Amino acid sequence: MIAVLGLLVGLVAGLVLHPTVPLWMQPYLPIAVVAALDAVFGAARATLDGVFDDRVFVTSFLANGLVAALIVFLGDQLGVGSQLSTGVVVVLSVRIFANAAAIRRQLFGA
Amino acid sequence: MVTKSSRPDAVTALLGQIWDDALDPGYAAAAGQRSAVGSARRWHGRSVRVGTVAGLLLIGALFAVALAQTRASAPAVAKGLADLQSRIREQTAAYDATTAQVTALQAAVARIKGSELSSTRQGEALNRQLTALGLQAGQVAVSGPGVQVTMDDAAVPPPGTDPSVDRVLDRDLQSVVNGLWLAGAEAVAVNGQRLTALSAIRSAGDAILVDYRPLTRPYVVTAIADPATVAAAFSSGPAGQALRVLQHSYGIRFSIRTVQQLGLPAASAVQLRYARAKEVVP
Repeated sequence: MIAVLGLLVGLVAGLVLHPTVPLWMQPYLPIAVVAALDAVFGAARATLDGVFDDRVFVTSFLANGLVAALIVFLGDQLGVGSQLSTGVVVVLSVRIFANAAAIRRQLFGA
Repeated sequence: MVTKSSRPDAVTALLGQIWDDALDPGYAAAAGQRSAVGSARRWHGRSVRVGTVAGLLLIGALFAVALAQTRASAPAVAKGLADLQSRIREQTAAYDATTAQVTALQAAVARIKGSELSSTRQGEALNRQLTALGLQAGQVAVSGPGVQVTMDDAAVPPPGTDPSVDRVLDRDLQSVVNGLWLAGAEAVAVNGQRLTALSAIRSAGDAILVDYRPLTRPYVVTAIADPATVAAAFSSGPAGQALRVLQHSYGIRFSIRTVQQLGLPAASAVQLRYARAKEVVP
């Protein structure tokens, strides 16, 4: 419950405070969003599996986001930025779908 | 890690591995550690701590920022497009108005010139010469029999072709105009725009331009020529054949019609800025 509340408060805070994203950060925003979605789905599945861990959640989210951003940054420097962001999005999307499927099995048994 | 079943190739093996490993292995490792220590805690316990809440706050804020960013940039793009479109319309209208003014002034000049020149015998001869030269140069509105070629984009693009090429292109229009000249045309106009020796038919983006003026479909090419022969000569010439190929391959529609009475406007004045006559014609 408190987790959902945290997510909602964050959403509202973001909408109200409306921070402007610096120009150099904008290419990484989509990657960050997908990494965050992955972290949320992973946490939900872990919760249902009864193995949720506070430390793992925070570190995996931060580390995945950083690595994804690093890959895209390197790709940008080497001229393959858009291809690498596609790769990052594909890998994280597959994980999201897998976790969503696991959550569905847990909740509905189907 | 070893995949459970043998995969047909490496790519599906890789995707399968991502699928199998979807839950961060750290969760399982942490759970294993906890049970080993004997302090297994369920999520409902103290396991939800500051870190989780802070992380979720961050994630929520991230979503909100991304949402706001997308919302903010979408209208800006649409607005830029609408601005450009309205500017194009404004400039086109201004161009049309100016062109109409030029045409009216040219007619007035021609009238005054005619009345001035017809006062003397020498002037009369000069006037006739001027008219003959103006006819050739496209500076005089003309009428006469001729042919009308109408072209339009494919109504239904033929299956298996790229719809973006099932359209009349600038080179198709060029080929038709050249074919009409070849078939003996004496004056040619495209969508009511008279062509001169300096006219250009080209494209910019998706639009076909004649002398920098964008055309709207359908494309009507009118030519004054011998009505008895021009349609047949055009149709059997290279341009007619090219049109039939276009119709067959890309579904371009066209029709060729002989007209007994056509009127073609004068072209806007041709300005020669650099060309000078090498010898003055007596």
